[in-house]
Amino acid sequence: MTRLPPVLRLVVRNFRASLDPITLLVMFGQPAFLIVILGTMFNQLIPSVGASSSYVAFLVPGMIASQMITGAVLAGRIFWLDRRWAMVEQIFCGPFLRAEYLAALLLTTLLFSLVGVGLMALVALPLAGLPILSATELAVILGTIALGATFFGALLIAIGGQIRSANLYFTIQSLLQYFLIFISTVYYPVTAKTPAVLRAVVYANPLTYAADTVRDAFTHSFGPGDLTAGAVLAGLAAVTFVAAVVSFRHLEFGPVQ
Amino acid sequence: MANDAPVAEAIDLGFSYRPGEFAVRHLSFSLQRGEIFGLLGRNGAGKTTTVRLLSTLLPPTEGGGRLFGRELRACGRAERARLGVVLQAESLDFVTVEENLRLYAFLWGVPRELARARAEEMLELFELGPVRHRKPWALSGGERRRFQVARELMHDMELLFLDEPTVGLDALTRGRILDYLAGRARQGLAIVFTTHILHEADRLCRRVGVMQHGRLATIATPAELKRRHRGARSVEAEFDRELAPEEAGELDRLLLEKGDSYAPVERLGGRLVFRARNAEDLVAELARWAERRGLSIERIAVQEATLEDAFVSLVAEPTGAGDLPSGHLP
Repeated sequence: MTRLPPVLRLVVRNFRASLDPITLLVMFGQPAFLIVILGTMFNQLIPSVGASSSYVAFLVPGMIASQMITGAVLAGRIFWLDRRWAMVEQIFCGPFLRAEYLAALLLTTLLFSLVGVGLMALVALPLAGLPILSATELAVILGTIALGATFFGALLIAIGGQIRSANLYFTIQSLLQYFLIFISTVYYPVTAKTPAVLRAVVYANPLTYAADTVRDAFTHSFGPGDLTAGAVLAGLAAVTFVAAVVSFRHLEFGPVQ
Repeated sequence: MANDAPVAEAIDLGFSYRPGEFAVRHLSFSLQRGEIFGLLGRNGAGKTTTVRLLSTLLPPTEGGGRLFGRELRACGRAERARLGVVLQAESLDFVTVEENLRLYAFLWGVPRELARARAEEMLELFELGPVRHRKPWALSGGERRRFQVARELMHDMELLFLDEPTVGLDALTRGRILDYLAGRARQGLAIVFTTHILHEADRLCRRVGVMQHGRLATIATPAELKRRHRGARSVEAEFDRELAPEEAGELDRLLLEKGDSYAPVERLGGRLVFRARNAEDLVAELARWAERRGLSIERIAVQEATLEDAFVSLVAEPTGAGDLPSGHLP
């Protein structure tokens, strides 16, 4: 029998061992619920937003982009539970490199994000329909999700590696999730009427770039701004990736609470 | 690697979690194939750090060592693939006991059929069959510890680190596990074993190292350690009649003149119990005194020192940090 490469063995283990169905239902059910409820309710009030033909058509790409956060949160949870239950230590005693464990976590983030993207698309289909995407547009969406998943996943891993309290970790994670999603263009557009300070904060948020890029792909309106967005996301993903590597290098073993 | 080459070596090995504060220092010892080596020491003596260093989880900050002939700092996947480590901390995945065993085997690349067979073997050996469908956190403390050891034995290894593997286990289960480990050692598995249950170490280990303040205070066979550091032993003498008060007083005075190496513990009629650093001298002294007094000794017994006596005697001895032996092999 040919053995799977170590990274894939770790990814399989992440999926099989660390998640329960209720967690998955809540994590993926919440954005799906928001598409249905927010989309339906606000559709009555907001006829169209920018290039999107309806509010729900505006919302769906944003929710799809936000799946990178869902994926990152799930992977961050796995990492934290692995620390809490000494599985990080146990795995590092085995035939694995730290880089492989980190790569497996990031790959897990990406796969969860893609599962989320698929689920959101399924939920959106009866509500808003889905555009027929070109291969380039699809590649850009997947690339954006991959960069965003790397950014958020690595950020949570970097934080999780330095915190020894579950309460603190999950509080920080919830706050980040909350602020990143609400101070972005996932639910609403930034226009000329948006206060300058808020606009600056929204554009400091990588999720904004991801949401805008996915939205442009959905409305077939790619522009130079999307290239900039991709570059910003790639740069930020590189920064958080380095932070995660540094955090891993200084990872302390022993009890966490 | 030659068959008689050490599987693991510590060479003046040291580690500090913070600059200047050494958790482990000047550690030197080696471990042969098939040997069970006990690491003893009080809480915080540096046993777990030593296990972490030798299992490559921590890089040495001082000195070094070898694992399967390779310098510790250069060790990687290939060396760790030959190790098994049962951590002191509970480690588990959120699936049932049986799934945990098989998932762990999968992580180690054990073929599926072999993993299935081994899981059955381990479930039976560690008496986990009745709880195979339970999640580990629903197990009792002893069951969780058994599960932990069983899971590590799902894959092949040449060197096994066991950091307090028998905590919370009943005597019968401990016996079974120790017998199994002794059997594996006879087949060539080298084992580093930390424990606070010293008669386990006495029973299982070819050699033990006693750690104190992060250093190896000594390395010896359990028998040697008991001989070198046996401390006071218990001597029980029973005379043919109850001692009169003046006789008892005279005996006390006599022993007191001999210094503080004898201490009366208990007196009940003609039966006396002493603690003596030199039990043989005390026996001789009692015999001479009884003869002078016209008493006859009906029974005299010297309780042999246990490894625990030796350990307590050793760690209680005041030792300056600088004058400890380096722990090189005898």
